[in-house]
Amino acid sequence: MDDRRRRFEAQVLPHLDAAYRFARWLARSPDDADDIVQEAILRAFRGFDALRTSEVKAWLLTIVRNCHSTALKQQQRRAQVPLPEEHDTQDGHALISTTPDPETASIRRDAEHTLARLIGGLPDDYREVLVLREIEDMRYREIAEVTNLPIGTVMSRLARARSALKEHWVLQASGESHAVP
Amino acid sequence: MLCPDSLRVQAYFDGEADAITAADIERHLEHCDECRTLHRSLEQLRTALRRDLPHTQIPAALRARVMRSLDVESLLGTAQHRARPTWRTRPFWMGATSGGLGMAAVAATLAFLVLSPRLTTPVVDELLNAHVNSLLSTHLIDVVSTDQHTVKPWFAGHTDVSPLVADFEPQGYRLVGGRVDYLEHQRAAVVVYRHGAHVVNVFSWAATRRSLPARLTRNGYHLAFWKADDLQYCAVSDAGWEELFGLVQLLQDLGGRAAR
Repeated sequence: MDDRRRRFEAQVLPHLDAAYRFARWLARSPDDADDIVQEAILRAFRGFDALRTSEVKAWLLTIVRNCHSTALKQQQRRAQVPLPEEHDTQDGHALISTTPDPETASIRRDAEHTLARLIGGLPDDYREVLVLREIEDMRYREIAEVTNLPIGTVMSRLARARSALKEHWVLQASGESHAVP
Repeated sequence: MLCPDSLRVQAYFDGEADAITAADIERHLEHCDECRTLHRSLEQLRTALRRDLPHTQIPAALRARVMRSLDVESLLGTAQHRARPTWRTRPFWMGATSGGLGMAAVAATLAFLVLSPRLTTPVVDELLNAHVNSLLSTHLIDVVSTDQHTVKPWFAGHTDVSPLVADFEPQGYRLVGGRVDYLEHQRAAVVVYRHGAHVVNVFSWAATRRSLPARLTRNGYHLAFWKADDLQYCAVSDAGWEELFGLVQLLQDLGGRAAR
């Protein structure tokens, strides 16, 4: 194994789990997530010489996100049908769909945890900042880098995502307690 | 969330506020009920998320797939790096033909071609071009697999021949996949092996009556030829002769065993 490959494995592969988790939250199916991860690691390997930042995780997740966008555009071009998320925005209250479409976010399909299901129901824009903050424990600056957003937008989206999640979490919890006789 | 300080409270909660701002927000929290509620709610949510969310790890099969694709990629990168100097030599003599020494160069080239007809067999050029192109372009492998039972059937649908395919990883020659190339107007099968940092392309096509040398070297690449059944094989690589013949021997032994 050459030196470049060894350095890549030492610096980048520790973030492989994070790349996979993020891809699962972004992608529409587990298979899509697998393809995104593989493509992202290849792109990262090709661009590894240009890596100047010490924030390797943010750099890798940026690539994962770009791979997801590319894949999404290709799918849209092929399918030419509106994506399920687009309907959500018609209703201002529908920040979270309480009966999530199983096709829209793959992690919902096998998520047994209410919170994971509710996060899966968030619109893409909110879900990604929330996941990066609460699950990947990233700084605002890093989230801004990954999502290519100003920090102010990261903060406001994060606030809205949390408030929507909290609201539906409470609703869900009260719904469950009513269901128990 | 109507208090204008709510985003500052969130930043404080996320550990993004500096010491002075943090002290400021702590004072604010003391007398703003709304922000105190917000702060508590953020804490509850985080606690629940940390408790309830599965800490998903990449499945072993996907990790292996990613590592395999890195293998192919680093092999391609190495191959590209190695193959480049070969191309650089071309403009050198092509450019010479336009200069004052041009005629001498042309004469020398012609003499070379006439005096060594064996080296100019068109199929040798085709093989060399196919080998170098496979290293330069992304067209090294059409079917990526380390499993002979995947590669061999793939050839059946894509080429005119059914060559010997086997993985010799224990002996140091790892099967990485297969490809189809055009050679002598046929769809030739190419089995791709990796030996250390070297790529070995093993071409096979329906043998013709023409006799080919057992071995020759061109542009630094070694080509080893042999026939088995009615197929012509040629292994091409920039690996040393000994290393290349190691694989040829394994393939010939396998062919011999299969014939018995």
